[in-house]
Amino acid sequence: MFKLLSPNIGKVSLLIAILSWLALLFVDITRIFGMLNQIESGVAPEVSYILQVAFFIMVYLFFNYSITRNERNEFLNLIWRGASTGLLALAISLLIRGFYGLLGDSTLANDPLMRNFFYHVNFALISLFLISCTLLWKRLILYQKSKKVVQQWQAFEILLLVSMFFVFFNQNTLDYSFIFGLVFITVFSISLSINLKWIPYLTFKEKWKSILFFSIILVSASYLFIQVLSYSDVEQIPVNLTDNLLLIGLFIFVFIYSLFSFLVTLFNLPTSSVFEQKLIEAINFQRLSQSIKPGENENQVLDILIDSSMSASYADAGWLEILDDEDNLSVLQFRFIEKNTLKELKDILVQSTAYPQDATQKREDDSKSVQIKINHNTYKSALVTALYINQKLMGRLVLVKEVKDGFNKEMVNIISTFVGQACISVENYRLLNEAIKNERYKEELEIAQRVQESLLPDKLHHDESFEISAFSAAADEVGGDYYETKQLDEHRFALIIGDVSGKGTSAAFNMSQMKGVFHSLVQTHPKPKDFIVLANNALGQCLEKNHFITTSYYVLDTVNKTIAYSRAGHCPTLFYKHHTQEADYLSIDGMGLGILRNHLYENYVHEKTFHFDTGDVLVLITDGIVEAKDNRGEEFGYERLRKVVQQHAGLNSQQIQDIIIKEVYKFIGKNTIADDDYSLMVVKFK
Amino acid sequence: MLKIENIDQNDHIVLQLKGEIDASNSVDLDAAIQEMLNKGAKKILVDCAQLEYISSAGLGVFMSYLEEFQEKDVQIVIFGLLEKVHQVFVILGLDKLITIKTTQQDALEAML
Repeated sequence: MFKLLSPNIGKVSLLIAILSWLALLFVDITRIFGMLNQIESGVAPEVSYILQVAFFIMVYLFFNYSITRNERNEFLNLIWRGASTGLLALAISLLIRGFYGLLGDSTLANDPLMRNFFYHVNFALISLFLISCTLLWKRLILYQKSKKVVQQWQAFEILLLVSMFFVFFNQNTLDYSFIFGLVFITVFSISLSINLKWIPYLTFKEKWKSILFFSIILVSASYLFIQVLSYSDVEQIPVNLTDNLLLIGLFIFVFIYSLFSFLVTLFNLPTSSVFEQKLIEAINFQRLSQSIKPGENENQVLDILIDSSMSASYADAGWLEILDDEDNLSVLQFRFIEKNTLKELKDILVQSTAYPQDATQKREDDSKSVQIKINHNTYKSALVTALYINQKLMGRLVLVKEVKDGFNKEMVNIISTFVGQACISVENYRLLNEAIKNERYKEELEIAQRVQESLLPDKLHHDESFEISAFSAAADEVGGDYYETKQLDEHRFALIIGDVSGKGTSAAFNMSQMKGVFHSLVQTHPKPKDFIVLANNALGQCLEKNHFITTSYYVLDTVNKTIAYSRAGHCPTLFYKHHTQEADYLSIDGMGLGILRNHLYENYVHEKTFHFDTGDVLVLITDGIVEAKDNRGEEFGYERLRKVVQQHAGLNSQQIQDIIIKEVYKFIGKNTIADDDYSLMVVKFK
Repeated sequence: MLKIENIDQNDHIVLQLKGEIDASNSVDLDAAIQEMLNKGAKKILVDCAQLEYISSAGLGVFMSYLEEFQEKDVQIVIFGLLEKVHQVFVILGLDKLITIKTTQQDALEAML
């Protein structure tokens, strides 16, 4: 039931207000009829008072509803509503007076019924004006409200409510209690009227308008008040509705608040441009601090920077120099200045001692702005502010004015802040871009890593006469070490280990070429020397001039128990003889692939064959193992490796491998070899 | 850390290498050799007495100039190699293509 009513509260309150007003009119007319015909109408004045209270409450509800509902509650709009209502009440009141003036002393002029009707019209309009203004002022007072102000306002509303019923006690006579009530309301009104926080937010133009509106309200209120006072003595009015404490109290409140607002707005006029300027600065600052969105570029920030700096300092002209790739300052933006004038000014500035001469040098002092006097026909002072990004000069903002010493401390401060903020924005933008780029590189590197991992075999070929295990680790994301096996026929196996010069991605590329060469050549079952020579021919065609690959190539024959091998500049292989319980490096001459790229190369390649037996161990390594350094810079070395293998040759291949890695790590004192790739392959004969 | 010094003597240049040559500074060595070739040097002695380490990238620099040395008839002799560094040259087989001597005197005599 209640829910049905709530959306129509405005209409319902309006309707009841009109009805109560009509009832008031009717009751009074009844009274006048009674008076005229000397009949006691028997209507007590309390009936009128009750109707009046009902009327007030309904009007209050109606305006409360309509003002709250109105979306466009800008200050000026609110004040205009008050002013227009006042104007309407004033105009109708004047019309009625004019009408009576025209009638003169005719009988119609003295007709009590008509006079009574117009009295009610005036009463209604005054009530509308005062109540609507009160509610409008409420919004102004409660702008940027604090708890204290809200409580104060609520107390004021209760006071008004009480004063509405006051009429039942004193029958609208001017006694001490009435005056006491008025004083109370006046004090309250004054204390509420100091809440004028909305005024600074008006622009200069809006302030002028609001001054106009307030004067309308003040004039209307004054006139209507005098009008109300004049009714007090009129005898044709049976029940005086206007000498009500509430109405008089509202008069006082509306008048005082309007007067305060009027005066404060008036005195605020001269400083309003300062406040507006500060507001613009705050907005500019916010624009500068918003990071540049993707797709935009730094120039937008610099654009805002020069515009906001110029408006903050009232500069007559200005420009922005930005350091280009060759460390030269070039003018990126300029405002209100001709190019040749700009050049003249620049020449003058450069000659000034205060001007920071070295473009790339960072000045020691904190303040990054310098004010310089200039001797130019038009311009007399300049403010030079350096833009720094990451402690590095990025550019310079120059503002010039036609007056001497045109830049005061506040301007310098605000411009320094603007410049600082713009630099942060640009820096953030650059960092973001870099981060995106790095992210992309990282992804590509991860792809390279995956590809490279697939280049190393997951399966090592062998038969039951030997076991084999291998290990590889890269210093960077991708490495240049390579090993692989291939079963040539039933009892012959090819083994290769290699190391590509350099590190990282370029090494990884060359390694993949090596793998291609291996898989091509191995199909022809070449002898080790032939393999090396052919590989040199092939790789000589595609390796960069300063790149080479070292490799060792082995062919194991498990029936004849022989190993044939060649070495191309690769670090020597360790061979443990079970028979003698000794390990030694296989010595054979050889030259790295790609070092000599012509037919002479084969002169430097050799091939050897030797026998192996059960219990023998072959350890193939890359130089990362022997060159691993401890914290004193000492290398792990060939000798240490030899001893480790000799000591643990009785274990199986996997165990030997694990022990070698463990010993290397123990030697260097950590779990990685930071600056080289390292690999090893262990073959144990059964 | 690598320090490179050029010492001009009568008919030859001594290129003194101190410290370590790795991937990061091998370009400096490359630039130094290139500069000597541009100046028209015909006899180059490389003093490696204080060279503590050379990585594959450093060796690659020497290797990449072998052809050019031959074409331009430039003689290059390395001397004073520490045993450890000498081993690196030997293992790679570079000692077969570049003359390596123990002392500066030997190196000078090796040049015709």
